[in-house]
Amino acid sequence: MIEVKDLRKYFSSGILKKQCIKAVDGISFQIERGETLGLVGESGCGKTTVGKLLLRLIEPTSGEIIFDGIDLLQLKRKELRRLRPRMQMIFQDPEASLNPRMKIGDSIAEPLKLQGTMGKSEIKDKVSELIETVGLNPEHVNRYPYQLSGGQNQRVVLARVLALNPDFIVADEPTSSLDVSVQAQILNLIQDLKRELHLTLLFISHDLEVVRRMSERIAVMYYGKIVEIGNTNDIFGYERHPYTNTLISPVSVGVGDIFLEGANKKNTNVYRGLSGCVFYPGCPFAAEICSKKEPEMVEIEKGHWVACHCVT
Amino acid sequence: MTLLEITSLKTWFPTRDGIVKAVNAVDLKIEDKEKLGLIGETGSGKSILGMSIIRLFHSSVKINIEGKIVYKGKDLLRLSKEEIRKIRGKEIAMILQNPTTSLNPVLKVGDQIAEAIRLHQRLDKRTAKEKAVEMLKAVKIPSPDKMANKYPHEFSGGMKERAMIAMGLACDPSLIIADEPTKGLDVTIKMQVVKLLREVTKQRSMLFITHDLGVAAEICDNIAVMYAGELVEYAKTEDIFKNPLHPYTQGFLNSLPERGLKPIRGMSPSLINLPDGCRFHPRCDYATGICKTRHPEMVEIENGHFVRCLLYD
Repeated sequence: MIEVKDLRKYFSSGILKKQCIKAVDGISFQIERGETLGLVGESGCGKTTVGKLLLRLIEPTSGEIIFDGIDLLQLKRKELRRLRPRMQMIFQDPEASLNPRMKIGDSIAEPLKLQGTMGKSEIKDKVSELIETVGLNPEHVNRYPYQLSGGQNQRVVLARVLALNPDFIVADEPTSSLDVSVQAQILNLIQDLKRELHLTLLFISHDLEVVRRMSERIAVMYYGKIVEIGNTNDIFGYERHPYTNTLISPVSVGVGDIFLEGANKKNTNVYRGLSGCVFYPGCPFAAEICSKKEPEMVEIEKGHWVACHCVT
Repeated sequence: MTLLEITSLKTWFPTRDGIVKAVNAVDLKIEDKEKLGLIGETGSGKSILGMSIIRLFHSSVKINIEGKIVYKGKDLLRLSKEEIRKIRGKEIAMILQNPTTSLNPVLKVGDQIAEAIRLHQRLDKRTAKEKAVEMLKAVKIPSPDKMANKYPHEFSGGMKERAMIAMGLACDPSLIIADEPTKGLDVTIKMQVVKLLREVTKQRSMLFITHDLGVAAEICDNIAVMYAGELVEYAKTEDIFKNPLHPYTQGFLNSLPERGLKPIRGMSPSLINLPDGCRFHPRCDYATGICKTRHPEMVEIENGHFVRCLLYD
């Protein structure tokens, strides 16, 4: 369904645009139809940027994105617009994604109106159908976002996203601002909808347990690179990259302190563009080669790829 | 020795829409050097309970506090504004959630900490600043003398949280009220902050307010579970996790992703319009007729394990 090849996005900053932040630095992966790929990493590792790039909400510096056989980056604006309904994004903060001055019903109807293929009464029917699909009550249609709770607003966002029958959805930390019990409701809803509507998902989160529940495969990102990718069961239990290890058991033996000290220096690579492994300054198993040569992604088992010198 | 004892504390806010009953008849004790976790969802009143202890409310807020909060033999609710000010920060410090909004963006971090120190200790500016640098060092901020002269926006999320902890510790309080100090932090950073909190509270008591059960398990000796403004369960941390008794606590634990992601049906009630009888009955799978009318009391089921539920009556 989705194929990403050597995708890069560099942001330049500073007065003379001389500083370069490699938010996404040469990543490749695929998502099969009907699959959920989980993307985990800490804040600032570039996972949201990846989500936005996939939908071409921002332009990549280089690389290739193939969506259902179509090369997204070759498309002109108009062609892209035609493709947009098929790919949608759910953002972190539901309150911020909804227009505070628009009634819930109007918010959901808006994408349908923009599409311009439905009449007024059809739109109305579709809206009530969507409201029901995401588990809201019909009377919510005339409310404003501030009158609803965070969980309900996230349901509204979901209804809006589903309005155009997308195939592919990028969910960027859809529950990070919600309480655990509400989070469970929303995550279950997403799972159900995915099954019913045969959706393909990229599920971005920093919460490992959530990603574990939601995804068939997981990609672990660290400072602009994917360091490990594999089936959920491989990542939890047979993880090979030292960074994945620290994420899964942040207090695990031995790694803790060394990692923590290194973690404070971790920015350096991104700004200076040093050679070598991105995780080298924080890695407890760092060898000499790690500072010099960047590790390649290697398939150690079927479908389980790791970028680390120590493993290969 | 009991450091703080709260008895039938009520914190109500009269508003145009009705009375917001944020804290309802809460009894709670914190022993010397005890780490007590207070867990609950958004809107359960846990932050308000923490703030009530040191009356950390803006003077324009209409508020109704009743009950007793006895700290080292003094009832904090009977103290005048001036007197409570002397306790706030010095004896009992609060570490607020969201360091980004709690720190003053236009003041250097070191100066903010020095300001807190100078409020309670007669030190000149220079010595206070030196002490601030010392505090930053104590919370393991790298090159503290340099960082003291930086502004909050130059700090990362984890570092800001550390700076908040440094500020809380600055006057060497006996009790720390930490309100969701790990909210919004990444796993690895979160664990650093947890470790730091454990270290700096070795010789102190702490009321740790959170909805993150994993973190509470790491830090707390005992845990109190709050729902709709009242405590529904209180036990040793281990017992809460291994043998939760209240249906709400069970539901809360089961909604964690690692425990199966089974949500509690319905929504938390509004604090203005609390259900009759047991506050949890509209969402409870075990609710019977009597739950709708009778409000359960806290009952000790096992040694030190209290629960507010008619199932155990």
